[in-house]
Amino acid sequence: YNFTYPFSSSISTANGSALVKIGNTTVICGIKGELTCPPSDAPNKGYIVPNVDLPPLCSSRFRPGPPSEQAQVASQFIADVIDSSNVIQKEDLCIEKGKLSWVLYCDIICLDYDGNLLDTCVVALLAALKNARLPEVTINKETDLAEVNTDKLHHLNVSKHPVSSSFSIFDNTIVIVDPTVEEETLSTAMMTVVTDEDDRLCMLHKPGGSALSGEKLQDCISRAVTRHREVSKLIEKVMDSFEPDK
Amino acid sequence: MSPRKLCVPGEKLCSTEDCIPGTGTYLRHGYIFAALAGYVFRKNEGEELPVISVVKETEAQLLPDVGAIVTCKVTSINPRFAKVHILYVGSTPLKDRFRGTIRKEDVRATEKDKVEIYKSFRPGDIVLAKVISLGDVQSNYLLTTAENELGVVVAHSEAGVQMIPISWCEMQCPRTHGKEFRKVARVQPEFLQA
Amino acid sequence: MPVDTKRVRGPEESQSPLLFLPSIAKKSVAAERGRQDGRRRGQADVRPVFARCGLVSQAKGSAYIEAGNTKLICSVFGPREAERKDEAGASSGRLLCDLRFAPFSCPNRGAWIPSSEDKDTAQGLLEALRPGVRLHRYPRAQIEVNVLVLENDGSALAHAITCASMALADAGIEMYDVVLGCSLRLDGNSFLLDPTLQEETAGEPGAQGSVTVALLPSLNQVSGLQADGDMREDTLAEAVRACMEGCHKLYPVIQRALLRAVHKRASPSES
Repeated sequence: YNFTYPFSSSISTANGSALVKIGNTTVICGIKGELTCPPSDAPNKGYIVPNVDLPPLCSSRFRPGPPSEQAQVASQFIADVIDSSNVIQKEDLCIEKGKLSWVLYCDIICLDYDGNLLDTCVVALLAALKNARLPEVTINKETDLAEVNTDKLHHLNVSKHPVSSSFSIFDNTIVIVDPTVEEETLSTAMMTVVTDEDDRLCMLHKPGGSALSGEKLQDCISRAVTRHREVSKLIEKVMDSFEPDK
Repeated sequence: MSPRKLCVPGEKLCSTEDCIPGTGTYLRHGYIFAALAGYVFRKNEGEELPVISVVKETEAQLLPDVGAIVTCKVTSINPRFAKVHILYVGSTPLKDRFRGTIRKEDVRATEKDKVEIYKSFRPGDIVLAKVISLGDVQSNYLLTTAENELGVVVAHSEAGVQMIPISWCEMQCPRTHGKEFRKVARVQPEFLQA
Repeated sequence: MPVDTKRVRGPEESQSPLLFLPSIAKKSVAAERGRQDGRRRGQADVRPVFARCGLVSQAKGSAYIEAGNTKLICSVFGPREAERKDEAGASSGRLLCDLRFAPFSCPNRGAWIPSSEDKDTAQGLLEALRPGVRLHRYPRAQIEVNVLVLENDGSALAHAITCASMALADAGIEMYDVVLGCSLRLDGNSFLLDPTLQEETAGEPGAQGSVTVALLPSLNQVSGLQADGDMREDTLAEAVRACMEGCHKLYPVIQRALLRAVHKRASPSES
């Protein structure tokens, strides 16, 4: 395993942020909360809007302009992880049923692209959600308007801790964990497994490539479970070390 | 050895009366300034004044220049020219892809009108060539192989085996013994390492 | 408004919670003298700067700069084959600049689609950098400069200039000089050097202006100047002088960061 270095950073203009570095790959996630009307089909829920951006800054393979296919896939992947793992109960983001709720814009920007983007994004998202703090919002009964109290900040209730593990597969024989960009381009297939702390599978993403035997798949899943423990321990440790000075 | 002097771009190194400007430097108002962030070298080259140059540890990336010998790979051919990707300048690999063109009349020095591109290059061949022009608005780098030392150095036969040169215009496949036409280079020993 | 189908979309509309703050909370900015962060007005008092080179492993050269809360990262690619060929590109290289503000970089969330502010700032950056780079050494090639503002707390353009020139030097691009940027806010009769975002946006109307200067420090030449607002001729000259002084204060820090980056790599063999 390559070692993981997550560390929180303080972007004071964001409600929560985290910079995560796995190997050379560096990703920054900033969370901004805004107020909106809850969706009409689920009046007691809020929104989480994740977007992954691969700017030309992070590697020469990306061009400026609208998001590339890879960025779109990554955004959708993160959105699916949030939905399927229930990392945040969307009900928690509701302020007043049918009237007002939070929308969390989670903007994930890759600063240095050296493979294993998805794992890094998930760790960054999790770390940013954990240090995000939102002001207290109440609805004034008389005027029916929202009032924001920036002195009272509270943390988000992060209920699950999904961790993703990516594997590069070479012809159903060799499996590499945490691949670099070189390994990714040379490999015949990629696979990403997302598990949560109860060792449950949240998501399994294998975009095409060569076929994989059942045993190898099981092997990858069990490796993902072990890796989850290591990574979450690391996140915990880093988050703790940042906590006292806040 | 004393620690080598470091400099940043724009640093005044010395006057032109003391040194001759080398690579990584430029002249202005009679003084030599650094153009790179790197180490300062002074070297005596038999002349009166030492040459001062700035060297950056990672080899500054070269660009194909007129007269430079480049190693390229043929990507496509048609009756008028062959398109190539330039891979090396001298012995320095390029990080990014540069495209070049070898026109029919630049393939060899003699009997230019009888040249057929199909009998000179095939896609996938590795070719040594020389830059003759940086090209104009529409075209890429223009290259030539009109020298004995320039031309195809590595080629694969239809059977997919690397071929052995047998004359300046033919190569033979060791497996099928079939002969194919190429503009073969007489490889100079000094380029063998590149 | 065109719908952006390539990104995960949120609700149609949302408002920043800052809009709902009770209006009393909006503090009156900067008492008469002094500034909120303890710097003095009218003096060449720049924020402490943290600068580093070579963070982005995939780029030819890169730099990160942090001044107060303003944080920027920049990477440089190239020289590579020019994509667009035009008359001017044949004899000398092209410099391309791209500057983006991250959506979370400002108090109000920005959109993903580049705004006109991004493009203006990128243009200012390009114009300030171009005189410093020896582009004629790179015929038919292009050099790409990408800047990402992670957090904008004022003077983004000035620091983008400094950061980009560090990244260019780190990439081994030949330059006449490093380019340093410094900006200034004219507020009433006094100068605020290296203003914060609050100082940039607030203040009583009238007698407002801002100046950004890009300087080639060792040649002592100004490579870029951007001034807007309403000011007299002599005020402008004075403002430019103050900015230049600010740049010279920055120079040793940048120099040290560059030298450290050179030092970190293995020293070249004697040749």
